[in-house]
Amino acid sequence: MTKNTVHSDQYLIEGLANNDSAIIRSIYKKFVPKVVSYIRNNSGDEDQAQDVVQEIMILLFNQAKAGKLALTCPFDAYFFLLCKRKWLNELKKVSNKGVTIPDDFTSVNEPTAEMVAQTEEFEEKQQLFDAMFQRLGEKCQEVLKWSFTLKSMEEVAEKLNVTYGYVRKKKSLCTGQLTQWIQEHSSFKSLKK
Amino acid sequence: MNEEKYILFGQYLQGEMSAEEKIDFEKKLSENHELASEFESFKEVQIQLETKFDFAADRDAFEANLKTISKEHFKPQKTKVISIKTWTYLVAASVVLLLGLFLFNPSKPGFEEYNQYENAYLTERGDGIENLKQAESAFNAKNYKAAIPLFETVLKENKSAEIQYFYGISLLENNQIKEAEMAFNEIKLGNSIYKNKAIYGLALAKLKQKDYKGCKEILLTIPSDYENYDKVQELLDKLD
Repeated sequence: MTKNTVHSDQYLIEGLANNDSAIIRSIYKKFVPKVVSYIRNNSGDEDQAQDVVQEIMILLFNQAKAGKLALTCPFDAYFFLLCKRKWLNELKKVSNKGVTIPDDFTSVNEPTAEMVAQTEEFEEKQQLFDAMFQRLGEKCQEVLKWSFTLKSMEEVAEKLNVTYGYVRKKKSLCTGQLTQWIQEHSSFKSLKK
Repeated sequence: MNEEKYILFGQYLQGEMSAEEKIDFEKKLSENHELASEFESFKEVQIQLETKFDFAADRDAFEANLKTISKEHFKPQKTKVISIKTWTYLVAASVVLLLGLFLFNPSKPGFEEYNQYENAYLTERGDGIENLKQAESAFNAKNYKAAIPLFETVLKENKSAEIQYFYGISLLENNQIKEAEMAFNEIKLGNSIYKNKAIYGLALAKLKQKDYKGCKEILLTIPSDYENYDKVQELLDKLD
């Protein structure tokens, strides 16, 4: 992800991150129709296409906000492939027959395949993170939520009506617990592979 | 053991360590690979937490905005469906109205009401072939009989759907219905922008022969995105 290889379409990503309506509209106008017709031609309808597009847009927003989205390929191919693979996954979930998703990566050029793989990995990590966060106890969730929302730990302590020392300790421990679970899960998954 | 470790990570990241503690911690990290990798994971989780909560408001705003734009984007097609429905009511209403009119004034639409054609502009900047120029002016002057042989000469060398269309109209106006239909049918088989116009021409040929049923059948095959669809609709209404 070196700076000099960033594609000129990066402005679309910045536009998403900044919630720029004009950019979002232009993405709908320029890139969404292709996705819609693909999904309609592959046992989907317009509403389902709308959902897939929204999911991918939110994913891109999250990845961009996390500062982890530097486009190294044209947006068009990247966006289309993401939507397409998301849709094929949906189909796979619905049908018990287990549709095999062809690895489209062979038909696209390398930068695009790599970008799509990065974003899918980001999504996977995010889903794992969210699932593990839900496993935390209520107190942990609360402390973490407020320590990353409010400006200072003093404010958090006041908000939760506990001592400053408790909040500080709890924050580290809860983050640690989360780290441990995510690591365990990831290594379990890589063992499976 | 783990707890101590995480508290240490937290203290380091929050800048709560003394200078010595800091140096000591960094030394441990450089010596202990496992600890270093755990620290990296801890930092990553912290970033994920920041992202999750820091941008919560931004994310909500983005999602709301996205939904609005998405609706806007997908709406035209949905309203189209609705408007087709209302449109059917309108047609139904006008059919009733026409039926009423029909009882008092039983007349069918005449060919003359529908044979207004656009002018032919076949030559650009006066650099066209002489015959084509003459054909163009004869056609625009509604001198169809004169235009026919001129078009035929041009078509021998320079066949285009556009020229053929005006040739077909000339034939139709000159009551050479069979020839006109042949010309239009040839355009119909192609994929030019004159395709729908040619189909309309075929319908007019039927109308001219007072074959209302045939006319209607042909009109019904014209897609609604045809540029002069309002005429098609009007004629269809009158035929009903």
